[in-house]
Amino acid sequence: MSNVLSNEKRGMRELGAEKKVGWDEVTHGVVLHSFEDDATDVAMRKAEDRNYSEFNSYTATVASWRVVKPVYNRDICIDCQNCWVWCPDSSIISRDKQILGIDYDHCKGCGVCVEVCPTNPKSLLMFGEAISSDDAIAQWPVKEKKEK
Amino acid sequence: MAEKIDLQEIEVWDGNYAAAQALRQAQIDVVAAYPITPSTPIVEGYASFMADGYIDGEFVMVESEHAAMSGCVGAAAAGGRVATATSSQGFALMVEVLYQASGMRLPIVLNVANRALAAPLNVRGDHSDMYLGRDSGWVQMDAFNAQEVYDMNLCAFRIGEHPDVRLPVMVHQDGFLTSHTAQNVRPLSDDDAYKFIGVFQPVEEMLDFSRPVTHGAQTEEDWHFEHKARQHKALMDARPVIESVFAEFEKVSGRKYKRVESYMTEDAEVIIVALGSTVESARLAAQQLRDEEGIKAGVVGPRVIRPFPFDAIRDALENCKAIGAMDRSCPGGALGMLFNEVSAAVYATAKRPLVTNYIYGLGGRDLSIVDIKAIFRELKANADAGKITTQIQQFVGLRGPKLGFFETREGK
Amino acid sequence: MAITSVKNLKEFSTVNERFEGAHLLCPGCAHSMIVRELMNCSDDNLVISTNTGCLEVSTAVYPYTSWDTSWIHIGFENAATAAAGAEAMYKARKRKGTLKNPDAPVKFVAFGGDGSTYDIGFQWLSGAVERGHNFTYICLDNENYANTGGQRSSSTPIGASTTTAPAGRVSYGEKRNKKDMMAIMAANGASYVAQVAPNKWKNMAQAFQKALSIDGPCYINALSACTTEWKFDPKDTINVSDLATDSLVFPLYEIIDGTELNITYRPKNILPVKDYLAAQGRFKHLFKPENAHVLEEWQKRVDAKWEYLQRREEARV
Repeated sequence: MSNVLSNEKRGMRELGAEKKVGWDEVTHGVVLHSFEDDATDVAMRKAEDRNYSEFNSYTATVASWRVVKPVYNRDICIDCQNCWVWCPDSSIISRDKQILGIDYDHCKGCGVCVEVCPTNPKSLLMFGEAISSDDAIAQWPVKEKKEK
Repeated sequence: MAEKIDLQEIEVWDGNYAAAQALRQAQIDVVAAYPITPSTPIVEGYASFMADGYIDGEFVMVESEHAAMSGCVGAAAAGGRVATATSSQGFALMVEVLYQASGMRLPIVLNVANRALAAPLNVRGDHSDMYLGRDSGWVQMDAFNAQEVYDMNLCAFRIGEHPDVRLPVMVHQDGFLTSHTAQNVRPLSDDDAYKFIGVFQPVEEMLDFSRPVTHGAQTEEDWHFEHKARQHKALMDARPVIESVFAEFEKVSGRKYKRVESYMTEDAEVIIVALGSTVESARLAAQQLRDEEGIKAGVVGPRVIRPFPFDAIRDALENCKAIGAMDRSCPGGALGMLFNEVSAAVYATAKRPLVTNYIYGLGGRDLSIVDIKAIFRELKANADAGKITTQIQQFVGLRGPKLGFFETREGK
Repeated sequence: MAITSVKNLKEFSTVNERFEGAHLLCPGCAHSMIVRELMNCSDDNLVISTNTGCLEVSTAVYPYTSWDTSWIHIGFENAATAAAGAEAMYKARKRKGTLKNPDAPVKFVAFGGDGSTYDIGFQWLSGAVERGHNFTYICLDNENYANTGGQRSSSTPIGASTTTAPAGRVSYGEKRNKKDMMAIMAANGASYVAQVAPNKWKNMAQAFQKALSIDGPCYINALSACTTEWKFDPKDTINVSDLATDSLVFPLYEIIDGTELNITYRPKNILPVKDYLAAQGRFKHLFKPENAHVLEEWQKRVDAKWEYLQRREEARV
């Protein structure tokens, strides 16, 4: 897995699986910090370059929410960024105007990305959770003929 | 830079104006406020200082008391010194936000000019608003006169902002009786007052962009209990901080305050426990009874009602024979708050003095020295008989047939 | 203000996101699309407040936060006032010179659902706007109290079935028409109000950037199509939003300083209102013969509103 697709902190634990500390260790005033270090320029830094704190939901995963998952086909994609802008879960990873793939730690399998993909055939399609990307791509449909 | 005022050694201020002056001296960053009788002059006094250039901070006249406290919470979380004032219905309206403020551990100072709660609507002084807020998680202090309003305000900022506390603080005063009664007040100079209060130290401030913080997260059954326990502990542990702030204040002002103020209790047989201006009336009554009738009477006025001074109240009361807990709030189907809390404190003692409950002064009904002496005499009768000789709860100063509830079981 | 380019989607996509995944919003939720886009519109420091509701409850449940900027939730009504208080603190500290980064630009943004905006938090919003605080309030309008299971709000449009105004044997659901928050906020003195929808990403981004750049209170009404309570498949959020904007059920327009009204989106083909209603389970009872009059009323009102908007735009009042 190349670095941009996974920061080692991403999706480290299931929601609810964090250590249940006592009253003496919970945070002061229920305040949560988003980052471990100085985050002054965080808007200038990509996710893989940020020092996320254990309290940032970035470090959790909701992969277990999925029943079906989107698979991304690089060969067909035109990098229009529709899927990126409309993903409710910040799970389409785009760098330098190119789609790199899906963040499967945070994707909930809603299917919006497939709906908004303009290519024919689509560059994203939903498949069963268990299928491998290679198998999915091997099954990719061909261009749909429009009915006249 | 805000202009300073050269105050005189003795000023003649009512409780409201004393509060406004203290707030001015504290160099508050944001006051978000709304007017309500009888606390309105605090806000008006502050507005007047704003208009004349004596204040550097922001003054936001919001559209309701709930918004006043909400604005204070938003401002406090952003990181700075914050205060406001209210009474009665306004206090009731902001109750939701009081709990939010303390749960979020935000130092805020709230002046409450205590006034009755409707219905029926009444603008005069009693303690029903104070009692409504008792579980809200705030440090709560009571001023018995205008000087104390001024002094408690200065201490409130120190206590609330202390790194070991970080909780909001209320300063209560009797509506009209204290808020509108002009008395001699010895203020500190602007410089000395601000020096005592100190510069605000932000904790978890939203305006520190190097450390983005999330305030007001939700906690479900996995986490809520631990957070509330931690909050409760912080409030309980405010006791030594309050004492140390009072000690420091004594050094700069010469005035000594305690979490529980006791008057002539060392040898007292009978003691009245009360709040607000009643404490001063009771002191006069006690002195007169000692002089005129040889009754060893004493008075206890809790200065800090939250965290409840269980320990200090017990110390003050455990050796007397009969206690009259006076509650200036309609008890709503139970015995009064002071009665309940004082009884609990003296129950865990060897001697267990007798305790009875007097409901008085609702809606601004006056209670005279004569009435208080009558109460002391009833306590004396209890002490002499070794048991409660009246009903346990009685309404005093009320027109109509005698109203009281519950008898003692034989023995105590 | 550090503005990110919204010239085209490719440019826009180069931003660094500040809204993190593994929040608890439903799959397909439009709230997240709108919030992500707002946070991506600017590189400035943001101080964000949020009312109790789906967004708050899904993004800040201890011990997790999905916010990479400072954020505050107090209660159900008072996000506008929280933002107002924070903004006042910023002004005070800037004047006094006690800010840690005095030159760092900051924007104050408040989010609320329609329940907290149109109903329970209305006074708080009105007060903050009237006082002229420099902040942007964004209503995530899903036309119901979604967080608590879909009760009606004053944003619920006529004929919608909600749990407290359900369609049944003797009722066709909501009897009242949707409250016009745009007109109210414009009259309340907002410097800028805009109605936006996430399917028109550029229109929405431009409205956000305009609001953030204005020194004054701005109100944005954002269509948030709710897969759970409107009852459509999660994948169809953008499709349903397209039907809303293209049928003019949810027209996109702005009002500057309460007087200058501009329509910001004119659909090439205006779709019948029926198409929009048919796409959602909450309206399916309207297609029974006995409710035909409600469908007619719907189309009439949408047409009348569009007529009004066009006339006002023309008249420049």
